[in-house]
Order: sequence, then C-alpha cells, then structure tokens
Amino acid sequence: MKINIIKAYMLKEFKELFRSRLIVMVYLMPSMILLLFGYGIKLDVSHARILILDYDQSKYSLQLASKFEHTKYFNAKSLHVSEQEALRMIKQAKEDAILIIPASFEKNLLQGKKSEVGVFVDTSFPTRGATIEAYIQGTIISAVQEIAKSLGIVQTGLIQIDNRNLFNQAMRDENAIVPGLIGLVLLIAPAILAALLIVKEKERGTIFNFYASPLSRGEFLFAKLFPAFLLHSVNIFILLLLTLYVFDVPFRGSFFLYWFASELYILISISIGMLISIITSRQIVAVVLTLIITIIPGFLYSGMLMPISSMDGASKIEAHIFPVMYYNHIIYDTFLIGQGLASQKILLYLGILCLYIFILFAIGVKLLKKEMK
Amino acid sequence: MKIFFVVFSKEIISFMRSFMLVLVVLYSFTVDVYIAGSGIQIKPRNVVVGYVDNSGGGISQKILSHLHQPEFLPPKAFLSQKALSAAIFNKEVLVGIIFDSNFEKFYREGKNTTLNVLLDATAASQSLTTLTYLQNIILDFEKLTIPITIKSHKLFNQNADNHSFIGLTEMLSVITMLAIILTAIVFVKEKEEGTWDIMLLMPVDPKIIILAKSLSQVFIVVAGVILTLGFVTFGTFNTPMNGSFWIFILLTFLYAFSTAGIGLFVAAVSKNVMQVAQLSIIIIMPLIFLSGAWTPIYAMHPFFQKLSLISPLRYYIEGSESLFYRGTSFVDMLPYLAGVSILGVIVYWIGFKKIGKLF
Amino acid sequence: MTTLEIRDVSVIYKKLAAVSHISLHVSKGEIIGFIGADGAGKSSLIHAIAGVIQFEGEILYSGHSYHSPQEAEAIKPIMGLMPQGIGLVLYDTLSVMEHLEFFADLRGLTKDEKFYAYRKKLLHMSGLSDFTDRLAGNLSGGMMQKLSLICTLLHRPKLLILDEPTTGVDPLSRLELWEILDNIRKEEGTIIIVSTAYMQEAAKMDRIFLFDEGNIIAQGTSRALLNSIASYTYIATQDTTKNAITFDKRTYSLENLNAEHTQPTLEGLFFINALKNNKTLAPVTIEQRQTEKNIPEIVMQAKGISKYFGSFVANDHINMTLKRGEILGLLGANGAGKTTFIKMLLGLYKIDDGELKLLGKSIKSAQDRMTLKGKIGYVSQHFALYNDMTVKENLIYFANMHKIPLQTAMQRINTYAKELGFDKHMNDLPKELPLGVNQRFSIAAALLHEPVVLFLDEPTSGVDTLARAQFWQILHKLKEKWGISILITTHYMSEAEYCDKVVLLKRGKKIADDTVENLYKNNPNAKTFEDIFLAYFKAES
Repeated sequence: MKINIIKAYMLKEFKELFRSRLIVMVYLMPSMILLLFGYGIKLDVSHARILILDYDQSKYSLQLASKFEHTKYFNAKSLHVSEQEALRMIKQAKEDAILIIPASFEKNLLQGKKSEVGVFVDTSFPTRGATIEAYIQGTIISAVQEIAKSLGIVQTGLIQIDNRNLFNQAMRDENAIVPGLIGLVLLIAPAILAALLIVKEKERGTIFNFYASPLSRGEFLFAKLFPAFLLHSVNIFILLLLTLYVFDVPFRGSFFLYWFASELYILISISIGMLISIITSRQIVAVVLTLIITIIPGFLYSGMLMPISSMDGASKIEAHIFPVMYYNHIIYDTFLIGQGLASQKILLYLGILCLYIFILFAIGVKLLKKEMK
Repeated sequence: MKIFFVVFSKEIISFMRSFMLVLVVLYSFTVDVYIAGSGIQIKPRNVVVGYVDNSGGGISQKILSHLHQPEFLPPKAFLSQKALSAAIFNKEVLVGIIFDSNFEKFYREGKNTTLNVLLDATAASQSLTTLTYLQNIILDFEKLTIPITIKSHKLFNQNADNHSFIGLTEMLSVITMLAIILTAIVFVKEKEEGTWDIMLLMPVDPKIIILAKSLSQVFIVVAGVILTLGFVTFGTFNTPMNGSFWIFILLTFLYAFSTAGIGLFVAAVSKNVMQVAQLSIIIIMPLIFLSGAWTPIYAMHPFFQKLSLISPLRYYIEGSESLFYRGTSFVDMLPYLAGVSILGVIVYWIGFKKIGKLF
Repeated sequence: MTTLEIRDVSVIYKKLAAVSHISLHVSKGEIIGFIGADGAGKSSLIHAIAGVIQFEGEILYSGHSYHSPQEAEAIKPIMGLMPQGIGLVLYDTLSVMEHLEFFADLRGLTKDEKFYAYRKKLLHMSGLSDFTDRLAGNLSGGMMQKLSLICTLLHRPKLLILDEPTTGVDPLSRLELWEILDNIRKEEGTIIIVSTAYMQEAAKMDRIFLFDEGNIIAQGTSRALLNSIASYTYIATQDTTKNAITFDKRTYSLENLNAEHTQPTLEGLFFINALKNNKTLAPVTIEQRQTEKNIPEIVMQAKGISKYFGSFVANDHINMTLKRGEILGLLGANGAGKTTFIKMLLGLYKIDDGELKLLGKSIKSAQDRMTLKGKIGYVSQHFALYNDMTVKENLIYFANMHKIPLQTAMQRINTYAKELGFDKHMNDLPKELPLGVNQRFSIAAALLHEPVVLFLDEPTSGVDTLARAQFWQILHKLKEKWGISILITTHYMSEAEYCDKVVLLKRGKKIADDTVENLYKNNPNAKTFEDIFLAYFKAES
C-alpha cells in the first residue's frame, strides 16, 4: 500500500468536501431525516376529533360522553346539530368521527332493551380510521359495562387479558420507529456521498489523474471511500445521541455492539454507493439512482412499518437480500431488547454483514476499470 | 405573447430530448407512486402468533381459531413459555399467548380468569391492533350481555384501502419534488452550459422568459399528474373520485405554480445541478413534514401547527383528500384553493424577484 | 537505450477505428508533434500510449512491452499525461499550491530542497508564482492549462504525453512552456509527445506526424514537410477560378497558378491535404443584408472603462473605438481582461467606471440596452448553444427571440446553412458535431437578426486549421457586404494580421492600439505578428 498517496488523496478529498460545502449535507441530512421522520411518523392515534351528538341528554348518556373527555386519544366536542350537518363537518375535514347517542338511550337501558349507538369514522386514511374506530368501540364498551355494573347487572365468566408489552412498555412510537430510522439514514447518506466522490471525478475529468498515476484500483477505492467512512462514523454517534436524548429511546444493549455493527453497516452502504458510481457517469444520475435503490428497501424491509416475520413469500426473500433487515435486527436489540452477543441470531447477522462488505468490495474492484470507456 | 410560446416550447423540446430526465419523471409518476402505494401496508397482516397451551385445549383452541388470515398466520404452538419468549426475542413471533393450566377450568366454572399475552411492542402498531382483535374475540366468549349495539360506519374509502391513500400521498410528494427541481434545473442548466449570457442578450423582456420557463415545467408536472391519475390512481388502485376532477386539476396547477416559485428561488442561489439537488432536499423534507401527509396537523406540536399554515402543501393535501374521498363540494373547496393561491402568488413572487435580479 | 516504439496500433471506438495500424518510433530526448483536424485520431493514439484505453497492437517503452492498460501499469510511475480539455485534471476547490502538493504526493516525491527549487522554477515559468493561493476554479482558462502542465511535469516524467496543452494559452506563455519542455528533454532525455493546433509550435518539434481519418498521412521534420508542399504554395492571389485555398498571405493550389511561389507554413499541410481529398469547403458567399440599417460612423466608443473584482483591477480605464466596417482584434495574455471587457460592452458585467457609447447612444442603464440588443451579435468562448435542440431548432429559436417572421427566418437560415456549409448538419444535435461546425453555426445564430456589430470571444480556439481559414473568409465577406463592425479576441497571432486594427491588453491596461501596418512599422525586426506581440509583452515584464 502506498500510504502517502492514499493520505494525499484523502487530504484532498477532505478539502474539497469542506470547500464545496458538501460537508453540510453530510451532517445536516442524516440528522434532519431522523428528526423529521422521528417526529413525523405517528402510527399511534391521539387527539382524534370526535363530535358527540347526544340526543338523549340523560345521566347515562352524559356518562358515556364523558368517557371521551380527558383522554389523550380524543378531543371530544358535544354539539346540537343535525346528522347532516355533522357529516358535512367530516367532509370539510373538521372532525374525524361522530358518535350519535339516540334519544331513547337511558329509557331503553333502564327497561333492559338494547339501544343502537351510531358511530361514523372518516377512513380516508384507512389505518388511522380503523384505529380510531377500534378506540371508540373500546371506550363505549367499557363505559357501558360500567353503567351496567352500577345498574346491578352482574357479569360472570370474564376473561381478563393481561398483556405485557415487551421491549416498549409504553408503546411509544418513538421507540418503535427511531432506531429503524438510523438503519434508513445510514443506508442512504453514506451511499450518496460515496457515489458522488467517484462520479464527480469522472464527470469533471480529474479521473485521468488516477488513470495516469501508479495507484492501483484497490488503493484508489480505499483513498476515495475512507473519508466517507470516517465522516459518517461521526454520524453514528450523532444519531445515537439524538435518539437517546431527543426521542428518549431507552438503550438496553451493548454500546460496542451498536458501534461495531454500525461501522460494518456504513461500509456496506459505502460499497453500494461505490458500485453505483462505477456504473454511472453523471453526478445527478448517481444521486437519483442511489436514492431509488436505497430508500425503498430502507423503508419497506426495515421492519419499522411491517415486521419481517409478517412478510409474504416474495417480499420476505427480497427483505433477506437487502442488508437493512440484518442491521435493524441488531439495532433494535441494542436499544430495546439487550440480548447482545448472547443471541446466536445476532452473531449470525453480524457475520452476514461482514459477508456483504466482502462481496460488494470484490465486485467493486472487479468492475472499476483503470481506463477510458 | 409569441415569445412566451417560443420559450415555452423550447423548454418542452429540451425536456423531451433529455432522456434521463424524462425517464426519472416517468418513473416518479408511475412506478414510484405504484411501489409506495402497493408496498407500504401499516395495518396488521400475516401477524405471527405463538402460543403455549397448558389448559388442555378446547376453549383455547376455539379462541385461536378466530385468529385467521389475512390478519394472522396460523398460530404456532410452543412447548414452554421459555421457548415462546426466545422466539419473540428473536423477532420470529410478534404476539405470544399463554393459556394457564386452569384457564379452561375457571372459564367453565364461571370464575374470572386471565389470559396472558406477550407483545413485541417494537412493532407497536401491529401489536396494539392485535390486542384489540383479541379483545373483540374474547368479548364473544364472555357470554356478555351489553345493553347496546354499536352501529359503526366507515365513511369514504370504505374498504379501508391503504393503497390508494399512500399512493395519493406519494403522488403529492412527487409533485412537490419535481415542480421544484425541474423549474430550478431549466435555469441552472443555462448557467452550467454557458447559455445564460446568450439568454440575457435576447431583446426580450426577462419577465416573459422567467414566466415561460417556469410555466413550461408546471405544465410537465400537471401532465405527469394526469398520467398518474389515469394509470396508477384510477387504473391500478381504483381510487374513488368523489369530487370534481377539474377542481383537482385546478388545485394541482395552483400548487405546482407555487412550488415552481420555490424552484425559482433555488435556481437563483444554485450554481449547478448538484447544488439544486442538495438545496431541494433541504427544502422539500420540512415542506412534506409540515403538510400533514404523515401525521395529522392537530397531532403536531402547537408550534409546528402554526408553521404548517404557511406550507402550501398543507392546503393541497387536505384539499386533495377531501376531493378524492370526501367528495367535498366546490364551495367547501374554496378555502383550500384560496390557501394554495395566496401562498402560491407570494412564494412565486419572491422567487420571481430573486431570479429576476440575475437578469 | 530509452525509446518508444509503437507497432501496428489500432484503437476501436464505438466499432469504428479511431486510429488504424499506426507504427512509429521515438528516440530519447525527442519531441514529436501530432497535428490533424478534429477527430483525426490524435487523442486516441495518445490515450493508447498513455495506457488509459484498450488498443490492439504493441507498444514498447524502453524494452517494456504492453498491449493493454493493465500491462501499461509498469510505466505509469515514469509517465506524465495531460489530457485534452481546459483544466480537465484540476480540482476547482483546491488552490494552485495545493494542486502541486497533491500531485507531488500522488507521485510519491520526496520534498527536499531540489524539489522545492524545481517547483519554484515551474511556478515562475508558468507565471503562477503570484497566484499560489488562488483556487483553480477561479483561474482563467489559460492559467488552468499552465497549472495542469506544471502538475504533469512535477515528477519529471521520462515519457511525457501532452494532448493540446496550449489551447487557449497566450503566445507568451506558450513560448515559456516550450522552454520548459526543451529544458527537461535536454536535461533528462525525456521523450515528449505533443498534439497541438498551433503550427508555430509544431514547427519547433523534432518530427511532425500529420493525422487524417485515423492514419498518419505525412511525417518528418518541419523542414521536410514544408518542402513537400512548397511547390503548391503561391503568394496570395485573387485568382479564385481554380481550386485553391488562401490563408495567411499565401494561396495553396494543386494546379499551377499564375503567381510567384513563396515559403509555405505548416498550415499549408492541411490545405494541400484537403485539396487532394476534395474536402475543401465551398467558397463563402454572403448576400447583401435584407434590412437597411443606418450605421453611425463610430459604432462603439469606450472612455476610461474599468472593472474591479474586489481589489483586483480587471480593466483599468480602457479607451477604445470601433468604427463602422472595422475588424478590431483584441489581444493579450491569459487573464489580461479581454473577456471582462467584452462582457462589459454587452452588459453582462456592470461597468464600474467610465463611459460607454454604443451606436451613438450613451449607455447608462439596462433600459438603454434593450433597444440595442437587436443590433448586436455575440459568440461566446464556448459557442454556447442549446445542446438538446438540433441546429435547425436552435436557429429557429434565436430567430423567434428576435421576433423575425418565420418565413424570413427560414429563408435566412437556409441561406446561411448553405453559405457557411452546415446544411447537411441541420438536424444534428450540436454536441455531436465537430467544433468547427458549431462555430460556424454559432456565427449564423449571431447573424440571423442582421446585427451591425459582432462581438466574438475566442471564436477560433480549439477549432481546426481548415475551419479557421473558412471562418476568416466569412468575417471578411461580412465586413465587405454588410459593413459590419467586429470585435474579436484570439490567441492565434497569424489571425491578428486579418484585423484592421489591433488593441493589446496587459494586466487590465491597454498597451497598444494601432493598425497592423503601423505596428509592423514600429517593430521593424518583427517577421511575424507573434514577434510584435512578444516584443510588447516582454518589454515591460
């Protein structure tokens, strides 16, 4: 290895990164994605706007309506309007749901007759709509059970569900999503940087300096990619700090496992960027291609929105092809689970990450030509 | 006016000739929207349930038989609680149910009994919904007499079709991205290729040049939207169109116009296409974040709620959703149209002034 | 014995032979030159020798034989390559000194006193000593070329390969670079291969190889080559009934002309070759302009015009006058402020100081220029054209922008296409065409609205000899038929002779402003215009 030449290339690379202000992107983009998506993706529903049309205005109907107040799940509002008007408010996206309590609610209840409670939910966004619907139903049932109890209707044969929420007691969205975002960010950002570093030289013509120099292909790749590796290694810590202190995600596993796995993972995404830069010749094409190749699997196969275990045949295979899944498994373990190296699966996945690096680099060195096309 | 069409058609020709760009635009408006719409499913599907049954079967198996596809895969039996938790720790199982040995006995005797459920709460959404499902199933077994019936109605998008919703959201993001980037590129390309000076020397009012160049890109974006609507939104996802198609096109045009204004601003401060790409990303991401595309505005931090008032995308997304699913009438659409128009004119005017300084 | 031997080398590019079956031999300390039109195969052979492209055949350097880029790796440490393209190998965000550091490290040089002395010498010779902190992106084109060259020389290569290293470089710097090359080949016995478009430079090489369509069609010393065409060379004559090309005071013809013979220049090689292959361009005929224009006697008058970039004075109180029907040549070293001056005239840069009158109108604001834009034509350094529109579409676009009715526009476009000889390229994209064609069609674009004054910024740099000869014919016809005034910058000193008047700029100041005849009179020792130029620039530096 020609250490001095590699050092010269790296020094030049750093100077260019700083002077072209690309460095801003290197540090701004990952944190920005983490913050925006971390705050932005809310799968849990809170503060759903529910309009209660209480046509009964009795003690029990008010008791039912009051169950929707003082909870983080609902912003309840009682109005005296017609059903039509209430529906129009949904159309104007001013309400998410309507609860209609019929006029004979209390009377029927006392007489032991069934009364019909109407619920209308805006399911334009189906997931949110379905969740809101389930919450409303749950709230009504528990309220009515309470009322029934106070009326002396005794229930027997109850099955109580004792659920333990492992890894994420409070069911916080942040805990579930932010670690997965690290896997997304560390896939995209290093890949783009690595792709740019080589394509830039091709587009500009400075690649001739490499063609005409005694530097070997491996050495050139090393010199070009090592700065990207170093710069993004800092991001590993920035992202960790943001996750821990901004999003309050617990950290239950080994710091060194997090660190080591992340460095391996950065090497993989850098190699992906390198392969893209070898086959493209324009910067803008390289960036677009990298985004297309990394974002979709970064989201879909991350286990963040959809657990890998729930995937179907084809997508399950695809998920196993991309490195995201393996890394995220380790990352979720370090944050939420904490099995660490005691788990065979984590050892296996670390091995798979190493294999990725080896294969991608081998392909890169093979494909890179030290000559003009 | 003639000059306007000359510049306009020149930009359209240039666009058609750059193969890569056409490809990227086509990809974004078709494949990208399709992948997003068909790929991302947040509601529970194929949830893997594991169980340990010490109760001897009977009720327990009846309960499990209610967990069926497509929401659940056939439950897997585990011999011990230890094996079950190991599987959950290795993320092979999402929900674990443990039937105690006296579960069946107590149930038959009419005593209160407990069902232990372990949830992998890293998949919070799926776990939570699974829990709700279980509660509903168990409700049936409780021989419970509730004195009410709940009549629930899903309004708009009744079959709860996630495809069309996420597809639509993705299309709106694509419009934002392309309207900014394409507009910026038509100007920056002249800077990069050195034709900028030539453009300045034409005996033509610069205002017409700026207007024609940016509107040509707005036109491309609107054409792309029609393409997506035809092939993906209506063609593949069968998204309903409950409102007026033409109001939507008008809304899209106004929105694309306002984002083109952002594009003008980006073009004014960028030297090359690379910088356009970087700057656009920095602008687009918060824009989408503040739009309510992912998280409803009212669930945001109050500060962000206020900030979202100045994001034209907010009005566009709310307006589009209303048109597609809620079938909102023209009169009720006016606030959205006004929001997009007013912000559009302001943003475009700022961008126009900014780039005008370079002429 | 250090020699370079090229045996039966062919380079296939896109299934076409860029060079086919070339063999040649170069000895230690020899400088050989490659000349030829655009796309004749010079660059391809250079890339093959440098081992950066796949080729067929064998190349032997000092006993080491290679057949592919992989095998050429062994000679890379002692080789230096400067590829074609202005500032191609430079990094915009690195300074001049940082480039030298980088290239020294890239070549693993030990930084001892000898290295620093050599570096200082190179910096001095390239005139970059005062600009060591300037970023490469802010250098002028000529300075970029010089920096690229000294970066290539830094490790004292034994095999130096330079592809058009002096395109866009001013005569003085070219002379200095030539001294550097001459020194290192004498001191180190370096083999140097240079391709060039400047024939004065080619004349200094030990041997010259003339390329045409991938073959070497003539080779030998400059003297031998000149002798070979002497019998076709006559003193310039107006006798155009015969198949002949006139350029630089000489007429070349294969047939006997009723004129005296004279000493040819190397440019003659191109003309004779073109005549032999019947590749001459149609004679230029420019028709009368269709619009009558009242042209004032004085087209442009600049009084004390200045431009400052921070503390740097790009133009220092320049006075200049351009009369009706006059061709004014604006000459000067790289970075002397020629382009800045033209851009101020056009309104692309703000005038910081001084007064400007264009076509009798005093220019104060952008509004003043609006009405004049229709009377000015401009061709920029890079022939800025829309690359994704065909030649025809480009021209129609420009015509429309000048509000010329379509029928008139089409008629003019077709006329120019025929007269300027690009009619068969009307439906091609500019980026696929040779520079010479692009240059002529840029001129057509600048002429569509029949301007009264043309500003041309280095319209001939990088354009091959034949196209340049044609280009000057066009300019003279325009002047004759249209009474057009032209302000032109160039680095070809032979072209200065075609101007009515020459202005020399040096470091932003005007140092000469006179007719060509008067300049010759004032410099009785000068044989060519290059001598005059050098006399002015060496005198005070």
